[in-house]
Amino acid sequence: MTPRPTLAGTAALLRFALRRDRLRLPIWVLAGAALMAIQSSSNQRFYRTPESLAAYRASAGSNAASIAFSGPPVGLDRVAGTIAFEISSPLVLLTVLMAMFTTVRHTRADEEAGRTELLRSAQLGRHAPLLAAVVLSGMTCAVLGLAITAAAAASGLPLPGALLLGTATASVGWVFTGATAVCAQLTGVARGVYGLVGGLLGIAFVLRAVGDITGSELSWLSPIGWAQATHPWSDDRWWPLLLPLPVAAGLLLLARGLLDHRDSGAGLLQPRPGAATASPGLAGPLGLAWRLQRGTLLAWGIGIGLLGFVYGGLAESVETLLGDNPDAQVFFRGDSAAGLIDSYLGVTLRITALMVAAYAVSATCRARSEEAAGRVEPVLATGVSRWRWLGSHLVMALAGSAALLVLDGLTTGTARALASGDAVDVLRLGGAAVGYVPAVWVLAGVAVLLVGGGLIAFRRRDVTTA
Amino acid sequence: MTSVISVTGLVKTFGRTRALDGLDLDVRAGEVHGFLGPNGSGKSTTIRVLLGLLRADGGQVRLLGGDPWRDAVALHRRLAYVPGDVTLWPTMSGGEVIDLLSRLRGGVDPRRRAELLDRFELDPRKKARTYSKGNRQKVALVAALASDVELLVLDEPTSGLDPIMEATFQSCITEVRAQGRTVLLSSHILAEAEALCDRVSIIRHGRTVQSGTLPELRHLTRTSVTAEIERPATGLAGVPGVHGLRTTDHRVSFDVDSDHLADAVRQLTDAGLRGLSSAPPTLEELFLRQYGDELAAAGDVDLSRSRP
Repeated sequence: MTPRPTLAGTAALLRFALRRDRLRLPIWVLAGAALMAIQSSSNQRFYRTPESLAAYRASAGSNAASIAFSGPPVGLDRVAGTIAFEISSPLVLLTVLMAMFTTVRHTRADEEAGRTELLRSAQLGRHAPLLAAVVLSGMTCAVLGLAITAAAAASGLPLPGALLLGTATASVGWVFTGATAVCAQLTGVARGVYGLVGGLLGIAFVLRAVGDITGSELSWLSPIGWAQATHPWSDDRWWPLLLPLPVAAGLLLLARGLLDHRDSGAGLLQPRPGAATASPGLAGPLGLAWRLQRGTLLAWGIGIGLLGFVYGGLAESVETLLGDNPDAQVFFRGDSAAGLIDSYLGVTLRITALMVAAYAVSATCRARSEEAAGRVEPVLATGVSRWRWLGSHLVMALAGSAALLVLDGLTTGTARALASGDAVDVLRLGGAAVGYVPAVWVLAGVAVLLVGGGLIAFRRRDVTTA
Repeated sequence: MTSVISVTGLVKTFGRTRALDGLDLDVRAGEVHGFLGPNGSGKSTTIRVLLGLLRADGGQVRLLGGDPWRDAVALHRRLAYVPGDVTLWPTMSGGEVIDLLSRLRGGVDPRRRAELLDRFELDPRKKARTYSKGNRQKVALVAALASDVELLVLDEPTSGLDPIMEATFQSCITEVRAQGRTVLLSSHILAEAEALCDRVSIIRHGRTVQSGTLPELRHLTRTSVTAEIERPATGLAGVPGVHGLRTTDHRVSFDVDSDHLADAVRQLTDAGLRGLSSAPPTLEELFLRQYGDELAAAGDVDLSRSRP
């Protein structure tokens, strides 16, 4: 058997890709196994008794918000059922992100950086990079599924259900490997592919959330819905997995077809031309930092705002969700019902503040990535001082994180006020969120210390590239 | 004549590597100064010290009458810089980058900007990520040439340009000189330096090895000549400045100092010249010739390597 010329070199590329990703991929797999093991052991501890399971069914199992987050409330009369209910969405999310990053890294990202062109000039078929990338991603999805199976079985859950959950999770990864392969043909930029696939993931998530809440057939339009329709550890249905395989194969064939109709290095969608002149705001370091970081800040704003609404909206059901659960009551340390809600909101606020701190750190680190990419020199060679340049990114980090915290407080408060009818909640939670600003800023300060050696040291050191 | 750039005994080390090892450079007001040297000889390091991006480890550096490290911001308002390897913000259009850099230098002249875009045939609407190396260089060049500054610092600005754009660049630099502005032009293309520069400094291994006007340095340049002749050119060996003479049948090849080129060609004509090809030496060849003995003694012909 002679290999097809368009696939020449696939095996060599695959070995090379495995070598490049020899650290990354095991981390994804271990993370999946760890998520599974932690969820399994904590649920087995929390819901030991039939009473606690009944309370769980009455609260989480009949609460629209938790169903929207998790999936169809099936098999909640057993601990294993609650585990499948709670862990399947996080596992699917992890697997899809892994599949997307892996597929893009070995297709569009390499092509954008010009590495594929160099490889293609050697004896390498036109389809080889794509095939090697999807085989790598598909294989890793399978290994991730097996790791989930092993972790679940090791924590004492029945093996058939464990294998089903692992396979179902992998199947979503396969579909999104195909979807990423298609998107990688459409746009010429890796970041654009992330945007398209992220959008598809959002649509798949919303379809199944609405379908699961309303009990309609809408969930069957979503690959996540197919995986969750297997009902591990309750019905143990394998047949829904007949759907993802042909869909994944179809997407791969589509990607190959699209690949044949585009130039190397280009996408099928033509990039839009930019502005011929800069807007008046793009006139100083702060204007530049805003221009570079505004998209990221907007995305964070949407995410944090939605999260605030969901957390705030969930507050009303916290009482029923946790009321009968002594362990959870200890966790939230609430005495009365109102106190329980307040301490719940306090915990969610702290979690969100932690995320906002991650934004503040990454916005500060943008300064270092600009320097490493060699884009600081042309700016510092003008009448811009080092303080102003580093300060501009710091302003984005500080002002941006403060704005995100206020946004979180206001959205949580608005959602809470809609339920409680008490408009004061908006101000109360907004004010509580502002209280986290100093803590988040301290973390940004630590980041700038590591990036520049601090403002003072950055004035005194050489400008370096990576 | 006042010095715009004055460097004496400049030292810069990176760990154990001594990138600049006592470099001298003197650029006078209103001149186009060629800053020549092979790859890795320290041209870009010197320029980055001049821009206050790197901190000098030793020696004196004066730029536009100030200290390039301490007075960086004030001095940078009076100069424009084109990096050797232009990296731009991938999501911004070329036009936006030109406006940004010009505004950071204190404003843009829209008429001059439009004229330069036209001359360099640059589409300002394209995103920076879609530009080739040459087009990225044009973005930086237009931004630098459009701003009204005293000093232009250009680090191998034409390495990605095609010959037509190279000619456009040369005419722009000629205009800049006519306006009385000063240019520091780093290059490893001798022809470009010969066409544009009033004076040149040649560096190697982080040190200045030659500095002066082109006529002063003329003795350094040798022309490679290959000729077809009818009779043996017996007088050729006696011409001063002829080196490396090789004769095979009716073919001779040799190098000759530019001062004595006419004498050598006269000898060839007398010997019945039938065909002639000559090539001016590249900078690399010049270095190899000038320092060939030293290199041979050291067993080291890799010019890009820094001294141990």
